[in-house]
Amino acid sequence: MTPRERVSRGRAEAEKARRKVILRLEGISKSFGSVVAVNNVSFEIYENEKIALVGDNGAGKSTLIKIISGNFPPDRGEVYLDGRRVSFKSPVDARKSGIETVYQDLSVCNNLDSIANLFIGRELTHRILGLPILRGKEMEDTTNEVLQKVGISMPSVRDRMEYLSGGQRQAVALGRFVAWGKRLVLLDEPTAALGVRETKQVLTLVESTAREKTSILLISHNLLQVFEVVDRIVVLRHGEVVGVREKNTTTPDEIVSMITGAIFIQDRKRDAPAKKRR
Amino acid sequence: MTNRLLPIRMVTGAETVLAGPRQIQLKRVARMLLDNIVWLILALCLLIFSLSISGFFSYENYVNILYQSVFIAILGIAEAFVLISGNMDLSVESVAACTAIISVWLCASSPYASGLLLNTWAGLGIVLLIGAGIGAFNAFFVLRLKVDSFLVTLSTYIVVKGLAVLITGGMGMNGLPAAFRLVDTAKVLNIPLMVFLMILLYLFFSFLLRRTRFGRHVYIIGGNKTAAYNFGISVNRVLLGVFVLSGVISAITGWFMAARTNGATASMATGFLFEVLAAVVIGGVSLSGGMGSLVGVFAGALILSTIHSALNITAASPFLTEVMRGLLILVAVVLDALRRMFR
Repeated sequence: MTPRERVSRGRAEAEKARRKVILRLEGISKSFGSVVAVNNVSFEIYENEKIALVGDNGAGKSTLIKIISGNFPPDRGEVYLDGRRVSFKSPVDARKSGIETVYQDLSVCNNLDSIANLFIGRELTHRILGLPILRGKEMEDTTNEVLQKVGISMPSVRDRMEYLSGGQRQAVALGRFVAWGKRLVLLDEPTAALGVRETKQVLTLVESTAREKTSILLISHNLLQVFEVVDRIVVLRHGEVVGVREKNTTTPDEIVSMITGAIFIQDRKRDAPAKKRR
Repeated sequence: MTNRLLPIRMVTGAETVLAGPRQIQLKRVARMLLDNIVWLILALCLLIFSLSISGFFSYENYVNILYQSVFIAILGIAEAFVLISGNMDLSVESVAACTAIISVWLCASSPYASGLLLNTWAGLGIVLLIGAGIGAFNAFFVLRLKVDSFLVTLSTYIVVKGLAVLITGGMGMNGLPAAFRLVDTAKVLNIPLMVFLMILLYLFFSFLLRRTRFGRHVYIIGGNKTAAYNFGISVNRVLLGVFVLSGVISAITGWFMAARTNGATASMATGFLFEVLAAVVIGGVSLSGGMGSLVGVFAGALILSTIHSALNITAASPFLTEVMRGLLILVAVVLDALRRMFR
């Protein structure tokens, strides 16, 4: 690290101190049997910030994101949302607090239309004789609105998902966080199944959403993508945080070195990126 | 399961642009055709039989086709719910037979019956509860012990029928009270009441499946169980509901069967299971879950009874009927595969 970089990093830290913390993790640990998946992880996410979580396979990214999204509780450690300690019992709890997750496999139902997919688990209903009846028209209108915001055109929101392209499907999955992700959006490899054009659209969407007050935590294997989108990068290795870097003060090479654990070995640095990039 | 749902090809935006509106329109028409092909088959069957078989085209015969489709059609509702939710229920036939036998045993005056001579409504109440109980029993093994629904319901299929026969000693019984038989004996325009009740059941359950949150959740669970869980749908509660519903609907069928035969025999409903599965799959319900509609199932049941009627009128050999049954199931499965291929 050059002295100049060190100075600019210091300045960034000072700036951070003035910003509001949305989510803070403190000493999070989680084991599965004898395997330690996440060990004593602490970091925070600021309001309106885009942050990436990177690491090799098995570094603990998915475990961490599942803890934040309420899929399971940590063994040790605390999660604070807006300064309040939270312990989510289920993904629903997390969602109610404004944490929306976009899953790796898109979590769409290909057998249903965009409307059903956007409103999955939060269907609008009114009760007639105690029976929750769907409010179809209302949900259709909202879907059209949301998808327009996402910026992807579709022949009809009533088409089943299986007839849509990968990008259109992803647009619906992302539409959920546009519509409901109030505080924090967790993106777990959101572009893994997408082509170049769709990936671009998704990233643009991520950018514009972050501008609208929502913080974003992105998990991605694609460092180019990470550098294109986020402000800060948290690197995990063997379940531990090996470093947090500002995008402006680091390079993909440095991040790769941190991921692979080769940070101090200069001559390996050159070969590593080829291995990590897809 | 989830992996299969991932897009296999890398679909780029350019492709979507290249496929012009005309092509998209054509594709949509083809899809609609495949989804509703059951109505085309039904229309073709009716047309061909009406023109080629003397005595087929008459009011009486058409009413008869409806009347003969009642059991398969109603059991089809039960099976459709379970299949759409991504499970399988092989016990519908047995539950219908068992509830028919027990209701007769409770209510009939036959010397082989229980001698309780229960009031019709009390008897029906009990068998509906039995149906619900068997559904809950299936659900327990599927949801709590995570046994495959095919295997669980295969064993209930055998056990339930055996139990009913065990209770009653396997004797044929008759002599039901008039109120019990009303669904069969009361007629409007010479159409038995149970036909109208069947249509009512279809209207109600179609509404439940298409327009309520419960129905929506059934589709979601059948399409992507992981997503359903991730988005906070109480998967177990919905599936318990589906299995209980299946049991209750099967019990209603049992009541109708007992009313029509004015009694019960040990061999009741034998072979219904495969006809129900054929009707449901021809009707467009996917064996892999998440797809299908009740209106299609109804058409599927009508196709089966249309073909039965044609074979009856032409006095075809009963073995030919067997062959036709088998072929129909094959047709149903091929249709299912075609639909999947076309996606």
